[in-house]
Formats: sequence, C-alpha cells, structure tokens
Amino acid sequence: MRSWWIVPLWKTLHYIAIAALVGIVGLVDLRIFGVAKGLPLRPLQRLMPWATPAFAVAAVSGYALLQINPANALGPPVNVAFAAKIAFLVFIGLNDILYFATGLKRQVDGVGAGESASASAKIVAGVSLALWAGVVFWSRMLTFLAGAI
Amino acid sequence: MQLLQQWSETNGFLIWLRESPSIWAYPTVFFLHTIGLIFTAGASIIINTRLLGAMPQIPVAPLARFFRPIWIAFWVTAISGAIMVAADLQTKLENRLFPLKMIFVVLAVVITALLRRRIEQSSLSGSTRALAAASLVCWLGAVAAGKFMAYF
Repeated sequence: MRSWWIVPLWKTLHYIAIAALVGIVGLVDLRIFGVAKGLPLRPLQRLMPWATPAFAVAAVSGYALLQINPANALGPPVNVAFAAKIAFLVFIGLNDILYFATGLKRQVDGVGAGESASASAKIVAGVSLALWAGVVFWSRMLTFLAGAI
Repeated sequence: MQLLQQWSETNGFLIWLRESPSIWAYPTVFFLHTIGLIFTAGASIIINTRLLGAMPQIPVAPLARFFRPIWIAFWVTAISGAIMVAADLQTKLENRLFPLKMIFVVLAVVITALLRRRIEQSSLSGSTRALAAASLVCWLGAVAAGKFMAYF
C-alpha cells in the first residue's frame, strides 16, 4: 500500500527540478538573444553545470512517476506524447553537443557586458528554447494522449 | 457567486474547454499554465539563488532586465490559470489547498516586485537575502500546493 502523498511529492520534486533546469537554460538563452545585455556571458554560462544535477533529479523523479503510472510511458500501447518527449530530449542533447563541439560555447564566453552574441549562437539558443518548450508541451500531453494510438 | 457559477456553466468558450476532446482545448490552456509557471518560478529560483550569495561572479544589477520576460510568463500563467478555474469553478474553489496556493503566489509576486529595485541597485543586504529566501519558499509552496491539490 503506497501512501497517498508519494505521487504528489515526486511530482513536486520533478516540477521544481525542471523549473530550475529551464530557469538556467532560459536565462542563458535569453541573454544570448540580447535580453539583459549588461550581463557578460562567461559568468552566466557558469550556471550551466548546475543543469546536470537538476536534470538528474528530474530524470530520477520522472522514472519513479513512470513506475507508478506506466500508461504515461512508451507502452505498449505507445504513448505518442512520451515518445515525442524523449525524441525532443535527444534533440536537446544533440543541440548541446553541437554547441560545445563546434567551439560555440567558448566563443559565447567571450561575449562581454553590452556585446551581442553571434547569429549562430542565437540560432542554437533559439532551437534550445523551442525544444524545451516542446518537452514541456509533450509532458503536459502525456495523460491526455495515453492510449491514443 | 451563484451568478458566477451560472456564467461558468453557460459560457460557450468554457463549455468547449471542458467538453472538447481536442488537445487544443483544455490541455493547451493547461500547457500554457505549466510553461508560464516553470519559467516564472525557474528564473526566480536562479535569480534568488544568486541573491543568496551563490555564483558571486554574476553581476546582480543587469539581472533586473530579466523581469520583463518573467512578468510576461507570469501573466500567461495567471490568465490560463484563471480560465481553468472559471471552467471548473466548483471543484477548484472548494479545494482546501486552492487558497493556500493563491496565498503563496500572491506573496511570491509581492516579494518579486519588492526585489526589483534592490536588484537594480545591487543591494545584497540582509533584508534582500531574507526576501530572496522567502521567495524561494513561496515558489516551492505554490508548486507543491498545486501538485497536492489533485489529491485533496
């Protein structure tokens, strides 16, 4: 017998971890876009390593929630929203690898107070924001699309 | 109150929202609420953590410029939330945790407004840190109350 408060507790943890994660991603990406230009990007990008523990907490709590509610997982029958969410997370990973591997991250570190980031950095930041919004969209659709196909 | 109830039951948009099986009805309003809250709370969490002394390399004053996107996200959250409450008036208003959630949200908003000038002036006094800590507690409380609401 599982206590009634276990599920909302995991959900709260999952939500807060994602909020912290999206907070970090959002502030860095918005600065790359030119919001809060007074911020030099090197110290702001120091936030990025903290996205890893936030993601770990989100992943562990998400896994626990899937054990409790398997209809929200890959199935069978497949939950389209979950498949899409995982695909978007993979795209985010690829986008991040691109950001680091091409040296773009180091280039952005050189963007000081009042300076603009390059167009390619803005594209990567835009893709990152759109993909994260997509992850939240598919997460919200999980329960509504469970068993849809 | 009764008038409000009647309006909720007869309003065409709210009926569509409640009854449409489309993911572009209720689920989409719910999504807007979620993404707005995640950004509002998430950006606040990061800024408050900085105010509490973490990541001292990050200059504080320019962070005030993030208030505009934060407020936009907040209004998206508030409006979509109000629509969902209107669509489901009785269940939401009778929920014992709903007033608690609203108290946390109002406190978080007041504290955020109070913090703005302190951020612009980079004043990291004891009272700024106390406000930042209170804001963190309020956002955590608001999210937890929202999640626990479904179980009350």
